[in-house]
Amino acid sequence: MSKISVTQLQKGIFINFKNEPYQVTDFTFVNPGKGSAFVRTKLKNLKTAKVQEFTYKSGESVEEIPINIQEMQFLYLEGNMLIFMDKFTYEQYSLDKTMVGLFYQFMKTGETYQVLVHDNKAIGMRYPKKVKLKVVSAEEAVKGNTATGAKKIVELETGVKISTPLFIKRDDEIYIDPETGEYLERSK
Amino acid sequence: MQNQEKIHHKKSLPRSFYIREIVLQSIRSFFLDRNFHEVETPILLPSLIPESYLDVFETKLYDRRKKSKKLYLSTSPEASIKKLLSAGLGNCFEITKSFRNSETTSRYHNCEFTILEWYRVNADYRQIMKDCEKLLLHILKNIDDKLKSKNIEYKAKKITYQNHIIDISSPWKKISMKQALEKYCQISFDHITDNRFSKYTRLFNPYKIRKVAQSKGYNVSATNSWEEIFNQIFLNEIEPHLAQETKPVILYDYPSPMAALAKIKKNDPRFAERFEIYIAGLEIGDGCNELTNYWEQKKRFSAEMRLIKQKGKTARNMDQDFLKAMKIGLPDCTGIAVGVDRLVMLLSNAKTIGDILLFPQTDLFGV
Repeated sequence: MSKISVTQLQKGIFINFKNEPYQVTDFTFVNPGKGSAFVRTKLKNLKTAKVQEFTYKSGESVEEIPINIQEMQFLYLEGNMLIFMDKFTYEQYSLDKTMVGLFYQFMKTGETYQVLVHDNKAIGMRYPKKVKLKVVSAEEAVKGNTATGAKKIVELETGVKISTPLFIKRDDEIYIDPETGEYLERSK
Repeated sequence: MQNQEKIHHKKSLPRSFYIREIVLQSIRSFFLDRNFHEVETPILLPSLIPESYLDVFETKLYDRRKKSKKLYLSTSPEASIKKLLSAGLGNCFEITKSFRNSETTSRYHNCEFTILEWYRVNADYRQIMKDCEKLLLHILKNIDDKLKSKNIEYKAKKITYQNHIIDISSPWKKISMKQALEKYCQISFDHITDNRFSKYTRLFNPYKIRKVAQSKGYNVSATNSWEEIFNQIFLNEIEPHLAQETKPVILYDYPSPMAALAKIKKNDPRFAERFEIYIAGLEIGDGCNELTNYWEQKKRFSAEMRLIKQKGKTARNMDQDFLKAMKIGLPDCTGIAVGVDRLVMLLSNAKTIGDILLFPQTDLFGV
C-alpha cells in the first residue's frame, strides 16, 4: 500500500479512512480565514455507500488502497444484490444495489461492466462515460412543435424514462450520460 | 464551454453577471450615503505585510537601463488603507482587485479576485457587524427592484443558496468561537490551552490540543501548530454546522494565534477581537478591531516572516512603511474585508466561483 500526500488526491481514487475503504468523490482546497491550507474531501464508504466529509491538513498523507478493476457480466438481481460473473475466472460476485445508486436503472442483464474488487469482494463499479440503450416506446412528436429545446419523454429498454429531443423514435438507440441521466446523442 | 461563449449562446446576459453589476453599484451607493471616502490604492507594490498563509505573485519593474526591482501583486488593500487612516483620512472604503497565488482546485478561490474593504475610525467591530447586515439588505433590495423591472423573480430578505434558505433580516446570529467549540465539539477552551502560563504564546503550546485531537481520531504530529490542529477541528466539527443555519452567522472572538492584524481582548488575552461572517456555509467576510500597537505588530510580523521561510513560501519584502505608519499612530479603528465574488456566488446561487466570473482562471489558465 502506498502513501500519498492529500494535495495529490484525485476524484475517484480509493483510500483508507479510519481503517475502512473509501472512494474520494470530491475534493476542494479550503483556507479558513487567515489560516493554514486544508483539503476538504467527500468520501464514500465502499461498504455502506454512505458519503461523509472530512477535512485534512494539507501536510497529511493518506493510504491509497489497491483496487482491481475486473470485467464482469451482469447476470441477474437477487433481492437487493446484483450478481456478476467474472469473464475470465467465471467466479461470481455480488454487490449491493445501493452501492451503484442511480446507475442501476441503466444496467442490462448479460451486459459486461467494470466491477471494482477489493479483498476479493465486489465493492463498486466504474461507470462508463456513456451507455447505449434502445428506445422501447416514444410518444409521437407533435407537429409544429419544433421550437429548439422542446423535449419529449421516451422509455428505454431497462424501463427507465428519460427526456430526449423530439426526433427520437421507437427502436432508436441512444447514448445517455449515466451520471446525470441525460440524453447525449443518437447512435448511428 | 468558456463563460464568454456561454454569454454568446444565451444572448441575454446571464443573471449572475447582471447581479455583479448591481452588487458593485449598491456597495458604492451604500458607503457614499454614509459619507465614506472611496479610495484607490496600488495593486502593484514593492513590499507586502507578511502573511504566512498566503502565497504571492511576484514580478519585476525595469528602469530604462534595464535594472530591475522586484514587485508584488497586492494580496489585499489593508496595509495601504491603514497608511491612509494613520494620515487622518477617516472612514473609507475600497473595491479593488487582489491576487493570491497557489489557490487552484478550489470552488471558492480565483487567484485574481474582487475585494471590498471598509474601515471606521473610533468605532468598534460591532458597528462593522451592523454595517454588514445593512449592506446586504441594501444590495438585496436593489437586486429585487432591478430584477423586478426586468421581470425576473427575486425574493427580498431571503436567499436560496444550494438548497438552503437563508433569512438575512436583522439581527444575524452571533456566536463566539468559545461557545461554538463547546456547543459543537463539546470542548472547553481550557482543555486545549495550557493555563499554567499567563503569556499567550505559552498558553497555546500545542501539547494539550494535540491530545484532544488525537482522542477524536485526528492524525496529528509534533510538527503541527496549535492553529493547524484547531482549524482542522473547526473545519470538521464547527463549520459544517454553520452551513446549516437559516440565518447568516457572525462567528467572533477568535483564538489569539489566529489574531492576524486584530487586537487582543483586554479582559481575556486568549482571544482576539476578530470575526467572520458565514452565510449558507460560505465565508463572506473577515473583520476585526484593528491592532494599533506598533511593538506588538512588529513582533507578529517577525513571527510571520519566520513562518514564511519555514513553510517554503515565496520570500517577500516586508512593508516597512506600514510599520512606520503604525509607529506614527494608527487611530482606534475597525474594518473588514469582504469577498465580492463570494457575495455574487451567494446572491446568484452559484456553486463555484468560476460560474460567476466573466473570465475565470479555469477558462484563462486551465487550472
